[in-house]
Amino acid sequence: MNPSDVGFVTAIASLPGVGPARLATLLDAGVPTAVWEQLVRGGFARDESVTAALGPKAPKLVADWRRAAASLDPVELAQRHETLGIRLLDSDDVDYPEAFRSDIEPPRLLWCKGDPTRVRGRRVAIVGTRRCTRYGHDVARRFGMELAAAGVSVVSGLALGIDAAAHAGALDTGADAGPPVGIVGTGLDVVYPRRNRTLWESVAERGVLFSEAPPGASAEPWRFPARNRLIAALADIVVVVESTDRGGSMYTVDEAITRDVEVRAVPGPITSPTSSGTNRLLADGAAPVLSTAELIGELGLAVPIGSGSDSGDAAYRDPEEQCVLDVLTTGATTFDELAERSTLSLERLGLVVARLQVEGVVVRSGGWYERAR
Amino acid sequence: MFTTIASATVLGVEGQPVTVEAHVSQGLPGFSIVGLPDTACREARDRVRAALMSSELKWPERRMTVNLAPSGIRKVGSGLDLAIALALLVADGQLEAAGLEGFGAIGELGLDGTVRPVPGIVPAVDALDASEILVARGDAHLARLVTGATIRAVRSLREVVDALTGEDGWPDFPPPPDPGPVRRLPDLADVRGQSAARRALEIAAAGGHHLLMVGPPGSGKTMLARRLPGLLPPLNDAQSLAATKVHSAAGLALPSSRLIQDPPFRDPHHSITMVALIGGGAPTLRPGEASCATHGVLFLDELGEFPPHVLDALRQPLEQGSIRVARAAASVVLPARFLLVAAMNPCPCGEANRPGYCRCTDRDRARYRRRLSGPLLDRFDLRIDVLRPDTNRLLGGEPGESTAVVAARVLAARKRANRRGVACNAELNGAALEAATPLEDGARNLLDTALRVGSLTARGLTRVRRLALTIADLAGAEAPLSAEHIGMALALRSDPLPRQDAA
Repeated sequence: MNPSDVGFVTAIASLPGVGPARLATLLDAGVPTAVWEQLVRGGFARDESVTAALGPKAPKLVADWRRAAASLDPVELAQRHETLGIRLLDSDDVDYPEAFRSDIEPPRLLWCKGDPTRVRGRRVAIVGTRRCTRYGHDVARRFGMELAAAGVSVVSGLALGIDAAAHAGALDTGADAGPPVGIVGTGLDVVYPRRNRTLWESVAERGVLFSEAPPGASAEPWRFPARNRLIAALADIVVVVESTDRGGSMYTVDEAITRDVEVRAVPGPITSPTSSGTNRLLADGAAPVLSTAELIGELGLAVPIGSGSDSGDAAYRDPEEQCVLDVLTTGATTFDELAERSTLSLERLGLVVARLQVEGVVVRSGGWYERAR
Repeated sequence: MFTTIASATVLGVEGQPVTVEAHVSQGLPGFSIVGLPDTACREARDRVRAALMSSELKWPERRMTVNLAPSGIRKVGSGLDLAIALALLVADGQLEAAGLEGFGAIGELGLDGTVRPVPGIVPAVDALDASEILVARGDAHLARLVTGATIRAVRSLREVVDALTGEDGWPDFPPPPDPGPVRRLPDLADVRGQSAARRALEIAAAGGHHLLMVGPPGSGKTMLARRLPGLLPPLNDAQSLAATKVHSAAGLALPSSRLIQDPPFRDPHHSITMVALIGGGAPTLRPGEASCATHGVLFLDELGEFPPHVLDALRQPLEQGSIRVARAAASVVLPARFLLVAAMNPCPCGEANRPGYCRCTDRDRARYRRRLSGPLLDRFDLRIDVLRPDTNRLLGGEPGESTAVVAARVLAARKRANRRGVACNAELNGAALEAATPLEDGARNLLDTALRVGSLTARGLTRVRRLALTIADLAGAEAPLSAEHIGMALALRSDPLPRQDAA
């Protein structure tokens, strides 16, 4: 990327409604400075190759862009990259990830924060629903931690739920762990959701953050499927931890299949709506993943010593505690429901649940009891 | 000529005795009422005039002044009409002063001389100091509940005059009104399943702990709430009188015309205004729903739909058991010692925040949470999450314990609390609570661990001890508290931490 073009291409990408396809059309129409000039004047209305590519909405788009271009300043936008500490890469740059270069639909413009050369070695994407259960959260976190500890890069979207849990786990490791890679749908200066601010900064510090959206781009719904294809593009394996039948993760799965990337799913209770998507993937032929050891082995790495199965299961439990834990396997339950479905009296139940809680095996929040670990 | 008659008005829930003075003399004909009468009082002029003339009595064409003493206090309502009329008649010489010696009168006058009942008759008569009291027939039975004086139930001004002049005797006391069909309180046995919820009701009743029910629509929260008054012990005499006075002052019908014995149940809709809930409605500073629920249950369904400032106004009564209402002209203290039960649905999608099912965004949940202040939620000792019951259980399950059985346990538990010097355990605090709740080793360990891992705060600790004490009382267990008591208290306590998405 020619440094003098940075401001102009950023401005082009910042126009309303410009996604990967339209961006490509515009960038192919000439050099960035010339294209920008045309956009400011609305000149493309008379350019047949551009209008044909834009389709029936062309006149409106050109008019909207002309209006929007009046308030965009390429010089200021170029300056903003320095202040924010982000870089703009395109396929000419040496640091542009190789995996993107050879992709069927590579990003024309790729903003990054952190070190893009950290995208090397093995990469596993961990994706799933925003509204995960405790089980999904714990599995995602554990996978993130174990994979990172084995030197694998965890790739995810930094959304709430599974994505955030996976990266939280990946960051909870030592200094020589696999660097985390985050791909987001907003501009790199727009932390979405705001709650994940620390996570963003940590991922950028220890790994790298990518976005196809220019700085300042907000969380428009159409950006997320576009981003999901990039997750699939970077990954060696895509692991779906929890998903409903039609969650955004399913789009990532489709993109992975198109690119011949292996998709694995974590099984869950058939009564849980957040596992209906993942279980369906298994029924349709995706292989289940029961532990990270199999993934690590498949990637040709050595499994670190000491990553055994959850010690909580091996511990002896007295029959009353086991009864409660059994009821909780089907999902989150209220105290009232626990009373109905377990054989314990209310007094004993109260005590058993309290003991399990202080042990950390069961968590309670907002009236719902869930099995942890 | 000058004369006085006793009467009374109502302010808040207490009667205000009023001495009606009348003075008739020579001078330009005129009639004025002084002593800070409000509009209704001032209109007595026209009512009394018409009533007198309709009753074939002479309207004095002289200078007449009526003073409502004490003169510096505002008088409200139309209940002084009868007393004003009688005082005028005596001052004009149409009636003998001796005949009305020691009399009191409370009633509104119609233009045809009919005597009508007035709202707030119970506190009004309670404040009256007289040996014979004249009231409208509709008020007679209620008046008799609160005073030892002789009650004369009169239909019209003419009747009163005839009785006083000896033309006729006093009319007979009206027969007691038909009590109507016996209104049975809803029975707890109607509730199928929901064993923990039923136990929470029992604990709330026994210890006076405020209860929060959380769940989606249709899960039975209202049904459970309605069964709570039946579990509370019946009101004692003092509470009965207090509740009756409040109901009367609020203008609520007391159809059986006897003192209220069942704990009241009030469930205002969430569109209620603050004044309607807390009280202070002009002109009598009328008690609100919170006061009408005194010694009973105040049920707030859809807690999140109540305007925040309305809920905030409940903090004073919850802390002090009374409401102080101050206006420019007067201030009153209204009783408000009730058991608070609230129901809420924590999120709009109907899945009550259930992990994995709830479809609400963070913004929906945050918006709901913002409406309920921390301090208000902190008032609830008990919290129970109820779900829609299983259809099988609804159709085939066996009925649970009946109200009678549970109420007996509640009564026994309350008696144990009484021995500690409080009406119920919810009133125990500080050193008294510590002294009353010694812990077994197992119980102490459980609490220590909970505190250490952070699932219990210091404030939560006090709450758990109180709840555990009530649980032990219900079980008939002696001190110290066992781990089981603590365990159930931990499970049923309301935790202020709302559910967060795992981030």
